[in-house]
Amino acid sequence: MARRLVVTVVGVAILCALVTVFIVGFVAKAPGSIASETASQPRVAVGADSGQTETVIHLETTGAVGTAVVYPRPDDPNPNWVGYLPTTTWKVPANSIVTIVIAQDDTPSGLRNPFWAKAQGIVGGTFHMKYYDDQGNPQEGDFSHIDDAANAAHTFAIPELGVFVPLEGLSANAPANSYNEITFSFRVGKAGVFHWQCFVPCGSGTIYGNGGPMQTVGYMGGFLVVQ
Amino acid sequence: MLVIWAVLSVIGIVIAMQIHMPPGDQTLQGGEESSIIQLMLILATPVFIGVVMFVLYSAFIFKRPAGPLEDGPAMRGDLRLQVAWVALTAVVVFILAGFGIVELAASSNATNFATPAYESLGEPGVQPVGESAGHQMQVQVIGQQWYFTYRYIDYGGVESTHLILPVDANVVFHVTSTDALHSFWAYELGVKADANPGVDNIAYATTMHTGNFTVRCAELCGLWHGNMFDTEGKVVSQGDFATWIKGLQASEADVKLPPYAPYYFPSPRVKGS
Repeated sequence: MARRLVVTVVGVAILCALVTVFIVGFVAKAPGSIASETASQPRVAVGADSGQTETVIHLETTGAVGTAVVYPRPDDPNPNWVGYLPTTTWKVPANSIVTIVIAQDDTPSGLRNPFWAKAQGIVGGTFHMKYYDDQGNPQEGDFSHIDDAANAAHTFAIPELGVFVPLEGLSANAPANSYNEITFSFRVGKAGVFHWQCFVPCGSGTIYGNGGPMQTVGYMGGFLVVQ
Repeated sequence: MLVIWAVLSVIGIVIAMQIHMPPGDQTLQGGEESSIIQLMLILATPVFIGVVMFVLYSAFIFKRPAGPLEDGPAMRGDLRLQVAWVALTAVVVFILAGFGIVELAASSNATNFATPAYESLGEPGVQPVGESAGHQMQVQVIGQQWYFTYRYIDYGGVESTHLILPVDANVVFHVTSTDALHSFWAYELGVKADANPGVDNIAYATTMHTGNFTVRCAELCGLWHGNMFDTEGKVVSQGDFATWIKGLQASEADVKLPPYAPYYFPSPRVKGS
């Protein structure tokens, strides 16, 4: 009787330990984070006594993370998934100006809601974009929106901060291994964690395109950590 | 015992009347919902006190005595007591049912809204008229993964990420979704309506006081459902609303939105692999 009891208790303990290891291993496997760097050439003019620093984060949006142009992840478990690179958790200082520079090398998918073609919540209301036109010629300018919602490849959106920026898709005639570069800035206040997402549904093989990478942190969703 | 019950009930009812009941009176409908909940609490308080007293009384008076058990007195039915109990509770239930039905019908229909909602919309796909028909203000609520946007049908169909409403307005919400099932829950407005694709779900609110309100999604809709909320909903003065909507129209002059329709089926509808 005692022996049976011991065997049962040990067996249950081993089973619990295995389940715990599995759960902890799953939960702890989160994408890494990157911290913003102090901007060497600030975009936004602030008063000398404002105390606001400007930091910058470099990102890439790509149609396949395994073969991205700037931050490829060939060992990714889902190399054909769309994604933001190099990672999807970004740390920025509180009460600062954040400048985002995105190398956008994905082709257009189109917005389900054309409303998101307009940039909102960014400093000055405009983003600077270096892109290739329909003939593959490099162009550059400041924009408040993209002309055709069907040309959007992705969006950069932090709804809780009111930041929404459309990202123009790469022209079919652009040179190989090239990308559009979109730069914009926004302000953050006190510390907090804010989720970000994309409003262009590009999760192939899923209904409405909002499955797969669209709902997986590490690809098309993540967190802005203000600290 | 009856006297104790009566005194405690009065005290309980007075306390119940001081409690602020959700969702509040920012809208006529919200105020009526708060009143109904408060009425239910006031009616339930004496019942609750009576039940607690009876349980405590029984626990003390009918406590098992020391010594060997003996049979208790024979139990007899009392037809008058039974009839009175059923009749009293039935009357309370029917009164509450009638009250609830009347309130539900009154808060969502004709008395506050001069003309039926559909008359002012026109044909689907046609640009909406510039001014509100009658006393109504039509606002379309679009649920999408994972944020609500709002189209002001009577103001050229301009769209906003925040729900701003004028005070003293009869608002008709046209709630729909472009993808998954969502639920539009404007807590302080006392409005909750499912946002389903291919459905134009109507909800009503008559704004009474200025102030802020929160909008949440109340239907699990994916990874970021818990983040699908907006704390910047506002009921503002008529003048402030006029200023705001003019600014919105000016800022969206160069944005090409589709014509207003009761619901939308934008691409992609199903994405192949």
